[in-house]
Amino acid sequence: MGISLLDVIGLEKKFQNFQLGPMDLKVEQGMVVGLVGANGSGKSTLFKLLMNILRKDNGQILLFGKNVEKNEIEVKQKVGFAGDLLDPYGHLTIEELAGMIAYWYPTWNKEQFNHLIKKYNINTEEKFGKCSKGTKKKVEFIFSLSHDSALLLLDEPTAGVDIVSQRKMKEDLILFMEEGERSIIIATHNADEINQLCDDIVVLQAGKIIYSFNKDEVYENWAKLWVSRVPDELANHPNVILFSTNTPVQVVTNNAHKIERVLQSKQVSISHSQRLTMEEVFEYLIET
Amino acid sequence: MKLPIHVSEESRVPIYHQVENQIKTLIIGGQLPPETPLPSIRVLASDLGCSVITTRRAYQNLEVGGFIKTVQGKGTFVREIEKVIKQETKQKVVYDAFEKAVDQGKQVGCTKEEMHQIFKEVIKRNFKENGG
Repeated sequence: MGISLLDVIGLEKKFQNFQLGPMDLKVEQGMVVGLVGANGSGKSTLFKLLMNILRKDNGQILLFGKNVEKNEIEVKQKVGFAGDLLDPYGHLTIEELAGMIAYWYPTWNKEQFNHLIKKYNINTEEKFGKCSKGTKKKVEFIFSLSHDSALLLLDEPTAGVDIVSQRKMKEDLILFMEEGERSIIIATHNADEINQLCDDIVVLQAGKIIYSFNKDEVYENWAKLWVSRVPDELANHPNVILFSTNTPVQVVTNNAHKIERVLQSKQVSISHSQRLTMEEVFEYLIET
Repeated sequence: MKLPIHVSEESRVPIYHQVENQIKTLIIGGQLPPETPLPSIRVLASDLGCSVITTRRAYQNLEVGGFIKTVQGKGTFVREIEKVIKQETKQKVVYDAFEKAVDQGKQVGCTKEEMHQIFKEVIKRNFKENGG
């Protein structure tokens, strides 16, 4: 497949009560990766390690094929990051913050910034620290999109953001991806964002990647089957996620083709089969 | 523009194939005339809730089949299609629809004779009212 914009190999970071990794992750050009996991599963820690704000203990992080620590300034200029980094600068107005960020990024796009400020109705004279949670999120999002980056790292960008602005953000991310050679990693708890934006899903649990898959694979393989009965062979089958023997008798599987073959060989009829929604899949993934 | 296409929750047909067939149907039926711009693979994926891998594959197949064309830097457009392809595809669309109807009839326990009867009635009703 394509060129990867991010390669993480054997990444590890230990804290007193938490360990992230060891972790491998690859993000290909043109893909939007959804990072999903419960609170405290390590999503924000991962972003901070990728941005070299936190020092890793072990492993390797390559952005655009280059070592982040050795080429920090060069590679970071092509990364747009939104993830609660600006809180220490709460005493500055948004205008002053923009001036500071523009100084860091030679590719700062003032036109794009002004366009987005207007689109999201932001008052640039307001002090950042005085802004509401949602407005802070929007301001960070705007900054991440204003320096022609090739990779966006977004840590719950729409948390606390009003519905209309959420829609605008989705549109702006789709527009960002139209260029084709860019990628996004987005941590989210929002099912709509996963459905409408993401191509691949990575599930984090207790600092480790427990699942990583293409969204359409799930649609194709996971299914709920309405059957005449559940044969014994399926009771402990590794591809059966759940079954109920009460009417309607149902089997939930992560490999519909395989289970259909088993059912056929046992002369069990399938009256109906249905794909699962992403929300349902997550519930099963996190329960099992 | 949002295309009136829909990925079925029930169908086991791969999503790229469903998308491909529905766009073909819209082109053959004339709802999408030649030169109509189509949404980008990213926008279509977002509308359908699938990944760009799927929409790219559907567009690639449509392009190979001569239904659409991609103009570098401008986007994807419906092509003027040849009469022969149009006729073949038309037949295939109708064939598939009947196939599906028979499948559903069997599911509810319809006999061959009953289905023949229903088919005759539907044809009669539809063509009489239209004067055809």
